[in-house]
Amino acid sequence: MTSMPVESPPKRATLRHRLFRTLSGEYFWLYLLLLPSLLILVAVILIPMLFAFQMSLGNTSIVVLGGRGTISNQWVGLQNYLSLLQNPSFWQALRETLYFWVVSIFIEVTVGIGMAVLMNQSFFGRRIFRVIVFIPWAIPTVVNAMLWGMIFDGDNFGALNDLLLQWHVIQSPIVWLNPSALFPQIPWLSNALSYLGSNLAMNSIIVGDEWKTLPIVAILVLAGLQTIPHEYYEAARVEGASAWRQFRQITLPLIAPVLTVVLILRTMQLMRAFTLIFTLEQFGLPVLSIQAYQQAFSFGSFGMGSAVSFLIGLIALVIAYFYIKRLYREEL
Amino acid sequence: MRNKWTKVLMSAMSASLLLTGASSAAMAKAKAAPQPVVLKVLYMSQQGYSTAVLNKMGAEFHKEHPNVTIEFTYLPYPQLHSAILTSAAAPVAQYDVVLSDLIWTGEFAAKGYTVALNNYIRQYIKNPKGIPQSVWNGLSVGGKVMAMPFLANFQNFYYNKKMLAEAGFKSGPKTMAQWLHQMQVLKAKHIVQYPYEDSWLQAEGLVCDYVRTAGEFGNGNLFNAKGQPIMNQGAALKALEWMRMLYKDGLANPNSLAADEPTAANAFASGQAAFNTNWTFVTGIMNNKSESKIVGQGVVSGFPVAPGTNRATLSASISGFQGLAIAANTPASLKPWAWKWIQFATSPAVQAQHLHSEWPIWSSVATSPQEKHLNPWYKVYQQNLNAVYNRPAVSNYLTVSSIIQQYVHEAIGGTIPVKTAANDMVQQIESLPK
Repeated sequence: MTSMPVESPPKRATLRHRLFRTLSGEYFWLYLLLLPSLLILVAVILIPMLFAFQMSLGNTSIVVLGGRGTISNQWVGLQNYLSLLQNPSFWQALRETLYFWVVSIFIEVTVGIGMAVLMNQSFFGRRIFRVIVFIPWAIPTVVNAMLWGMIFDGDNFGALNDLLLQWHVIQSPIVWLNPSALFPQIPWLSNALSYLGSNLAMNSIIVGDEWKTLPIVAILVLAGLQTIPHEYYEAARVEGASAWRQFRQITLPLIAPVLTVVLILRTMQLMRAFTLIFTLEQFGLPVLSIQAYQQAFSFGSFGMGSAVSFLIGLIALVIAYFYIKRLYREEL
Repeated sequence: MRNKWTKVLMSAMSASLLLTGASSAAMAKAKAAPQPVVLKVLYMSQQGYSTAVLNKMGAEFHKEHPNVTIEFTYLPYPQLHSAILTSAAAPVAQYDVVLSDLIWTGEFAAKGYTVALNNYIRQYIKNPKGIPQSVWNGLSVGGKVMAMPFLANFQNFYYNKKMLAEAGFKSGPKTMAQWLHQMQVLKAKHIVQYPYEDSWLQAEGLVCDYVRTAGEFGNGNLFNAKGQPIMNQGAALKALEWMRMLYKDGLANPNSLAADEPTAANAFASGQAAFNTNWTFVTGIMNNKSESKIVGQGVVSGFPVAPGTNRATLSASISGFQGLAIAANTPASLKPWAWKWIQFATSPAVQAQHLHSEWPIWSSVATSPQEKHLNPWYKVYQQNLNAVYNRPAVSNYLTVSSIIQQYVHEAIGGTIPVKTAANDMVQQIESLPK
């Protein structure tokens, strides 16, 4: 019995062949058209991200040697991360960031959906109402910050104080932007709230931020609402379902995908919220993004600043993972 | 025929000689003409030496040196430091000349972000003593002058004479006890709800006010000669107790804890406060009809001080000097031009043209008849300029400052007791890596 000599092609050739087939086959144009976007993403996101990660593992500082500026990076491993985790001010910043996120998301989910449901009803002037609601979103963040700075001015002539004083709601002006403890007359509650990151300035800033971002949440949810067929509601009404039951069993499940996207988007934004807080408080309300900026650009410790940034990203990713898991429970 | 060819040849040779001569002359001329230079200058968007004033200075410089164009970048103060840092990280500086605040002097010298200007000053500044020594000190470290003085900013004590007269006082306070008494009377008589407003927002302005207040109690130096922090003793501790007391007793507006300098100035100019301790820009605001409700009522004065202290000056102010510095990674070919621009902008002649905008750094200009005519408070200005205390000149100043800001803010607001705040502040600063 003679065996037929079988020549197997070398492995490298197979890989090359497969790659060639993939790139030249039906996906050729797909890859070609994607290439510019991919290159841009690699250049402006992936490479800087890897560079920042490398910095987070080093004692990074800016030096000028022989008339040329450069970045010196001395490898320290996870030391920046460990120092942060051992620093009480990092944990306070984390609690403040999480408080900012939880309260903002709660407002957006409740009031945002409420506004969207309202805008989805038929009433006179609905279109004008929708346009007016959307205006705050169009205002630049820094302008919004300056605006709320004037509203929350702690002097008598601050817009909010002036109004409340005229209406005799308050006896003397309130310093809305001072991070003072809430309910000082109830020490245990005041201490607990301060520990959780809640103070007067934080809550004032949440109001200013929500005024600007609620419209976009409402508009996105409204878009989701408009995809729900009216027949579902008619059938539910025939079956005698109450308005609350219709909302709970028809509206909410059907807008869940849109809501999840909104929540992920807003979580990312809230975790790195910076402009409004920095414009109004500078370093007085050190949420994580402010801490990252301060470490990098005030103290010149780019390694530590990068480490804080990566921790922010990690926290946001964990939260986003749970959102997605809840949405597609069966798939994950 | 031969003649004809000779003529043609001669003409060709003459033409070529002419052309060669002309082109050599053109080349020589081009060689002599200076190359066009673009100098990138980083400056702060602010009142006083505003963008308009700087643009004008740039245009005047361009007239003197037509080959040099100044390209300004104006940023708000909180963004200046990070812009200088990122520029220093580049192989070639993004900004050739930067506005350097005195608090960055130690850091820039230690990390080599800007170059020492001693050689330039020795060679080109004929009369360095014409600038007060306190200004040089603020912008120097270890004998190295890191920036040429440009802005002689410092704080003045402002009071509303109409309110004081209503309360029965003929003049402003000279001592801390008198100041306290005046505030108490103003409040008791309901002339003003909060007699004083200051900029105690958790930012750099708070450190300025803390240092100055410590100075009013006799010593505005927060570190001793050995470089150890001393906020938990002596004048610095008294200053913290004083600030807390003003807040607790309702003599300082609670809004101070959220106010920056312009906010505090507005409170004074709108008649909401009888006293303000602030930078020199308030002098312009309080007498500007479009911004002020107290035109003619504001007085610029020396600071009240604790008895027996600050005997030489009878005041205690805080410096906010700023200078023009050359970035270390500016190309060598541009550095002479960078210095020329600095020399021009800081010269007595140029500063004399802009007396409306800022208090000049040169004593000769500050005492000129023109300044005396423009600024009736010039003697007080000189008194306060000579009485300045500087913030600590340490290489990690911004880290130290952030610790001071946090604890002073919390101590004033009463979140933590004054003594605990002072001790914690010292302990945390001492634990910083050297």
